[in-house]
Amino acid sequence: MVKFPEKIPDSLARLLVVFLALVAAGAFVVLVVIPRPMKDVRLQWADDIKREQAKPVRYAGFHVCVECHGEIYEMKKKGYHRDLSCETCHGPAKAHTEDPDKVKPVIPAQRAFCPLCHAYNPSRPRGFPQINPVVHNPLKACASCHNPHDPKPPTTPKDCSACHGEIARTKAVSHHVMLACTTCHEVPRQHKISPRSVKPSKPQTREFCGKCHAKDARDKMAKDAPRVDLSEHGEKYVCWQCHYPHSPEVEN
Amino acid sequence: MNHDLMRQLAEILPRIQGFIYPNEIEIHWGMLIVVYPYITGVVAGAFILASLVKVFNVKEVQPLYRLSLLTALAYLLVAPMALVSHLGHPERFYEILLTPNTSSAMAMFGFVYAWYLMAVLLLEIWFVHRMDMIALAEQHRGAMRFVYRALSLYSRDTSERAVAFDHSALKVITIVGIPSAFLLHGYVGFIFGSVKANPWWSSVLIPIVFLFSAIVSGIALVILLYMIINPLAGGKINMKCVDKAVDFLFYAVIVDFSLEMVDFIHRVYQSEEEIKILSEMVMNKLFLSLVVIQVLLGMLLPLTLISITKIFRKRFGASEDLRKMVYFLSVLLIQFGIFATRWNVVIGGQMFSKSFRGLTTYKMEFGGLEGLLYALGLLILPLVILTVLLKILPPWKEMKELRGGAAGGGLETAGS
Repeated sequence: MVKFPEKIPDSLARLLVVFLALVAAGAFVVLVVIPRPMKDVRLQWADDIKREQAKPVRYAGFHVCVECHGEIYEMKKKGYHRDLSCETCHGPAKAHTEDPDKVKPVIPAQRAFCPLCHAYNPSRPRGFPQINPVVHNPLKACASCHNPHDPKPPTTPKDCSACHGEIARTKAVSHHVMLACTTCHEVPRQHKISPRSVKPSKPQTREFCGKCHAKDARDKMAKDAPRVDLSEHGEKYVCWQCHYPHSPEVEN
Repeated sequence: MNHDLMRQLAEILPRIQGFIYPNEIEIHWGMLIVVYPYITGVVAGAFILASLVKVFNVKEVQPLYRLSLLTALAYLLVAPMALVSHLGHPERFYEILLTPNTSSAMAMFGFVYAWYLMAVLLLEIWFVHRMDMIALAEQHRGAMRFVYRALSLYSRDTSERAVAFDHSALKVITIVGIPSAFLLHGYVGFIFGSVKANPWWSSVLIPIVFLFSAIVSGIALVILLYMIINPLAGGKINMKCVDKAVDFLFYAVIVDFSLEMVDFIHRVYQSEEEIKILSEMVMNKLFLSLVVIQVLLGMLLPLTLISITKIFRKRFGASEDLRKMVYFLSVLLIQFGIFATRWNVVIGGQMFSKSFRGLTTYKMEFGGLEGLLYALGLLILPLVILTVLLKILPPWKEMKELRGGAAGGGLETAGS
């Protein structure tokens, strides 16, 4: 009778032994050596939850604020800051809700605070209210003009900026801040009545910008404007292919 | 802005052209990541050359068989070193094996690698050398005898049946090995090809281009090693074998070149938004490494040289030395060309901003883990390992074989 192991070639049997030894070693490492939390995702989650739960709670949530500060809440609800939670500006206030007299939340009154969101930054959406903190009413506290719980510009936007607020705000922080819209655009009266069918004009030629920015520009507005040689600068391109006229910082 | 920051900026700004995001200034995948695909490519290519003998029965290249297997092993052992050294915490590399993340292609490298090393290369080398190791154990005394015994797993069966089994096992392993070699290097291409945010890499053709450039580099390197090692070991170069191997190399280079051209034309024809910055990168930053070294010196010149030996058959068929010189030059150029290919893929992919509006510069360190010196060490290390392997498992008998009296063999049979 042929014994079973004799059927397997000698070399294969030896390799099988090595293979099984490797598998056994691998299985030993995986099953015994590696601690369970390293392998089991559910255990990791459970540990995570425990770790998170052990942390002290610092935020109270706006529902608790409303209980005492209902008026402010009602005001904020209607303003542009309606989507901000109280603790976004006032900081974690759990301790305050537990002992309102002893612990007071922060009231960020310094000028550096509001520009965290409202300083001009080209990566912010163009319609977002932005200012240049250096030139925007220097040294005045933000809250002296804007109520943080219902922030509105102190003057209602009018004229062009009523509709073109985005452009107005962009222009307001640009070098063209001193130019009136009508310096470059001719606005027919009819535009204010049917704005889509009658449109203001736009400058069409390089020479238009050259009135202030050409080497030999004589316009009195052009006193401090940067000058270029129109015949060399920018080759065949028109100015606004590189410079956005409402924010004409050099982009390239 | 504080003084330190200004100083740092002053240092890096000259490296930048146009607009670039802050996290793109520094190139993070440096020289080591260039070395890695080059080395795995050699592994896959050398194995494909070996499989020509076993699977496709190309008898002429038999003298290269064992050399190519050992070359593949020597390079394969070094391949992960480049990756592990590149990790921020090299000492933690084993963790990706202990806690596998099956949804990350990068994290699966350990398994692709282990499969190729254990299931293909080591097995094949073991079966090829089993009989030799038994014989060598008989010849040696002392420690070496023990080494050979252990390496052969104390096997002593030299019966005809056992030898026949070795042969059939080899056939099976090589057949499994070809897709595995494709997997190993296709995987490297896949890693790059699947980065969808990077238009220089993101292409389904990349794994295929990688595969064929791997085959090119592997075959070229084994021919180069054979032409250097064999005379050193006192053998005579078997020109019939080299002719045949160069033949395969020639076709592989043509396929590789055509694939790269397809990729190139496709990109230019599609002309997607990135084409402007890519063409600027190719014409400025990568001009030397891509146009000059990779395409002109690494592909077109060797192709021309080998074509000349084919066109002027009579002249070259008569003079072996002339042919040897042309081949040697060609395979050497191809090595540099393929290394430049890896460089252009890895470094090129990080040189342009994802805003498509700027370029940065790769500044290689000299010392340190990411430096030139270490990378050179990694490129030399496989040759050291190969020397040791050649000492333990000498392939001389096979390499010096001049089957069919081909010492003066012409090109008549080559390419048929």
